[in-house]
Amino acid sequence: MTLTVATSLAETLRLLADGARPIAGGTDLVVAARSGKAPLPQHLVAIDRLDELIGWVEVDGGIRIGAATSHQKLLVSDIVADRYTGLADAAALIGSPATRHLGTIGGNIMNASPAMDTGAPLVTLNAEIELESVDGRRRVPVADLWVAPGRTVAAANELCTGVVLPDPLAHWPEGARHGSAYIRLEYRRAMEIAVVGAAASVTVDPNDQVLGVSVALSAVGPTIMALTDCDLAGFPATHDPSGTNNPSAADEVRTLAQEQATPISDLRASDRYRRHCVGVLAARAFEAAVARAHGDPLSIPANRSHGVGAETGATQ
Amino acid sequence: MTFLRADGPDKVSGSGRYTADLSFTGMAHAKFRYAEVSRGVIRSIDTSAARAMPGVYAVITAEDLDARFPTPIADRNLFAHQMVRFEGEVLAAVAAVDPETAEAAAAAIEVDIEPLTPVVDLAGAATAEPIHAEWRSYDAPEGIIRDGNVAAFSAVTKGDVEAGIQAAHLVVTSRYVADASHAVPIEPRAVVAQWEGDKVTVWTSSQVPFDARNGLATVLGMPTNRVRVVVPHLGGGFGGKCGFHFEAHVAALARAAQRPVKLVFSRWEEFIAPDRRREGMIIEITTGVSTDGEITARRATVTLDNGAYSADAEFFAQLAAMHLAGPYKLPAVDVKAELVYTNHQPSGSVRAPTAPQACWALESHTDELAAAVSIDPVEFRRRNLVGQGDEGPVGQIYEHIAPSECLERAVTAAELACVDNPLDSDEALGVAVGWWPSFAVPAGAFMKMSDDGRVQVITGAQECGTGSVMTLRNMAAEVLGIASDEVELIYQDTAVAPVGPGATGSQTLLNHGWAVENAARVIADQLKELAAIELEAAAADIVLASGAASVRGTPSVSVPIAQLAATAAEGRLLLASGSAPEREYPTVNASNCVGDAGMGSWLAPQFSCHVARVQLDRDTGVCRVRAVYAAHDSGRIINPIGAHGQVEGGIVMGVGQALTEGTQYDQEGRQRNPDLLHYKLTTAADAPRIHTEFVEIDTPNAGPRGSKGLAEAPNVATAGAISNALARLIGASVRQLPMTAERVWEQIQAHNQEVGQ
Repeated sequence: MTLTVATSLAETLRLLADGARPIAGGTDLVVAARSGKAPLPQHLVAIDRLDELIGWVEVDGGIRIGAATSHQKLLVSDIVADRYTGLADAAALIGSPATRHLGTIGGNIMNASPAMDTGAPLVTLNAEIELESVDGRRRVPVADLWVAPGRTVAAANELCTGVVLPDPLAHWPEGARHGSAYIRLEYRRAMEIAVVGAAASVTVDPNDQVLGVSVALSAVGPTIMALTDCDLAGFPATHDPSGTNNPSAADEVRTLAQEQATPISDLRASDRYRRHCVGVLAARAFEAAVARAHGDPLSIPANRSHGVGAETGATQ
Repeated sequence: MTFLRADGPDKVSGSGRYTADLSFTGMAHAKFRYAEVSRGVIRSIDTSAARAMPGVYAVITAEDLDARFPTPIADRNLFAHQMVRFEGEVLAAVAAVDPETAEAAAAAIEVDIEPLTPVVDLAGAATAEPIHAEWRSYDAPEGIIRDGNVAAFSAVTKGDVEAGIQAAHLVVTSRYVADASHAVPIEPRAVVAQWEGDKVTVWTSSQVPFDARNGLATVLGMPTNRVRVVVPHLGGGFGGKCGFHFEAHVAALARAAQRPVKLVFSRWEEFIAPDRRREGMIIEITTGVSTDGEITARRATVTLDNGAYSADAEFFAQLAAMHLAGPYKLPAVDVKAELVYTNHQPSGSVRAPTAPQACWALESHTDELAAAVSIDPVEFRRRNLVGQGDEGPVGQIYEHIAPSECLERAVTAAELACVDNPLDSDEALGVAVGWWPSFAVPAGAFMKMSDDGRVQVITGAQECGTGSVMTLRNMAAEVLGIASDEVELIYQDTAVAPVGPGATGSQTLLNHGWAVENAARVIADQLKELAAIELEAAAADIVLASGAASVRGTPSVSVPIAQLAATAAEGRLLLASGSAPEREYPTVNASNCVGDAGMGSWLAPQFSCHVARVQLDRDTGVCRVRAVYAAHDSGRIINPIGAHGQVEGGIVMGVGQALTEGTQYDQEGRQRNPDLLHYKLTTAADAPRIHTEFVEIDTPNAGPRGSKGLAEAPNVATAGAISNALARLIGASVRQLPMTAERVWEQIQAHNQEVGQ
């Protein structure tokens, strides 16, 4: 077995062309090897020290995040927290402090677990994934990237080099406001994996009418699932119990999520329970996204304000 | 008195050495081959390919070491022979040049097992096809009945239960099921064995070094004085490292390999292989209550899942029976407990064995009783808790005890907190009371003071993380009038220490505390005699304090203890030994198949009350324990920091047992979640705020300075308190432990359907 510590992207791409596999934080690769799930590849190229893959830059009103940027770096980034808050929610929930400091967004995306945390918010934020090889560079909409658990459309010699997030308000009229959130069902508040999860990205007009909604679900199908037929334009974003807007936009999101989810039963939950809960979480993610569009300073992760076991007041 | 832990800096800085850290010249590495089938007939085990591999030093099976574990019911072979009865059964052991070679060789052993249908349904296990067809031939204590798959039984019978039920105003029957769970010490176990001639030294992560030594001596046919067991720092045990486990496998491998051998378990092995897990239970309780809320009679049955072999669980039927009777005044009671073989992993000691599950069931049932007669659950307990002079379920008349004070103190603390922070609509309080025995057993200590006045205490006590052994240092220092850091502990080495039961039964202070204090008194008396000569006073008037001996009332007339020690070093040396006093157990009126160790040991029982503040997310069933208010009667508290730590640890463990910690089995009897992602421990982020009060009363038959045990008691009542808070929020009890989010949600659905919502 060989491990090459890459000094440039070009060197990395050459080694990948020769059959090596990339390693950044190793939080999936090493754990899978230790547990006997999948042996380490014969030839590894370490990309965790490539500065060109770490950090973010503003491009065309949006941002490009380097693939080897750690979850912790995303979590403490003002621009991610302000404009792509759903992604910050996800980064804050992943594994443990150790996992968040070592694990990278590119690794999380390319590991392609249906229970991944960053996937659902990236789908709702219309992210595009940069794939690069010695043959060139291409961009793939993130929703088209995953084909099955652990499998993507990337060729063996392609490296995920970055994630491009567009300006969420680019195509909306002036005065529109945007918010996003990711909430997962968890049985404990650390060292956890999503039982199910839901992300929402919501744009509202100055009258609090919904302009656009995007919702995606985790751990209820073989890949992250974008909700279809989620056309709630014109709905009041905020539910008025005394008004006539029944069912509310959040109710619609809940129903759509429960109808479209295709969960399985496993150690963590039954399909019946998952289907129910993913609707609850989708509605809460929608509500949290709306609150953020209104400028409410919800905590990150939103799990602590709209999630299960949310903090409500202090206990002596 | 400060209680800085002597082992703290080692453990915190990483300078401490655990068993897995040890290495010796020429050392080989061990790996086991497991059955991975829950029930089957061994057709053949072919080790020839493994033996032929380069770097393999030895491969051993039952052919090389044909011996049984010397457990009370001798039902298990060290290496499986003819039959396998659970997935973690050891078939063979390999010693090789490195762990990878050992693993490859273990995998290269060709095993042919004809699988049989395993017995995995606890409800029908007693009368299922016998798991030990030949078990009449096993050595076992007198009284074992050997009836079908029932390994042991206990019956507590007092008064006329039929009449009591007939006379009751209301009768409530409840059924509860508890899943099995695990001790999960953070250090997976490790063993290193090294032979020198006909002597063997074994370093092992054990809670019970003398049990390990005796097991080694029996199995290897050696006298105990040629077997030395040393326990380096232990990375947690929680009962799971009680018993003689894999020491002889490794010692036999080292003998065959003719070199030192080290075994280090993976987390998977730590889950599936030990003969220790918290047993599953099926519990049915029927209780009659009078119009004024007094219990008239109780009938209960409990079936305990023994697993494939008996380990130390043979008296668990007794403990479970006591916990289903509970600390209540019962004019008539009839509890029947059966420990039943299945093809699951063997059950055995895990912190307060049987109590968290049985107490959870009984305390949930108690709230159901209170609701049936429309009495507040706290008031219901006030009317029924035992007190001084009352008779317990097996006839013991209680001396000074404080269960009622525990109830009042914990409830008051919780209610006061609710004045400042009222309960939200998704929150409720739940109350549970618990009890636990005090195990009085023989214990001894040696002590020596050298010419500089420094002391070594040589104790047979075992530190498993509770800090109680560390407290022994301070107790010796207090008697001798010196600083605690002038006392060093020599412990966890069977070659030098007097025999002791190890870290079991919350009994370290109760027994070893006496022994250390008594040894220290011998040296203190000798110092006083020397000081009397030096100071020209009567020995009876000498006081030892602050490193000096002085005449009572005249502290200025003094001599340093170090000077007295130097004088003694020229003549009669300062050497001592001490023992725990023999204590009388209460008489027991019960029918047990094996002795009454689980019932007679209630000579100075510990009591507790926990009140849990629980928040429920009704849409998902996920709940969070926000706070626990605990009050404990564990006698006088000697080490307050350690005592608070024990209660906090017990409660956090109890939260896990209540909500997330459960072992899931497939239909083949294999564990489905033997890893730390799917077996969910409570994390620090989930820990509730904990408020602890100690009800310090004088207890007859207590340990030194009026102390009782405290390691297991805090792990008894938490799940019951959480259950009762949840039942208030849902309107019905969740009847399966752990009360997972999905089970809670299902109960919410069922209850809402029932009441037509």
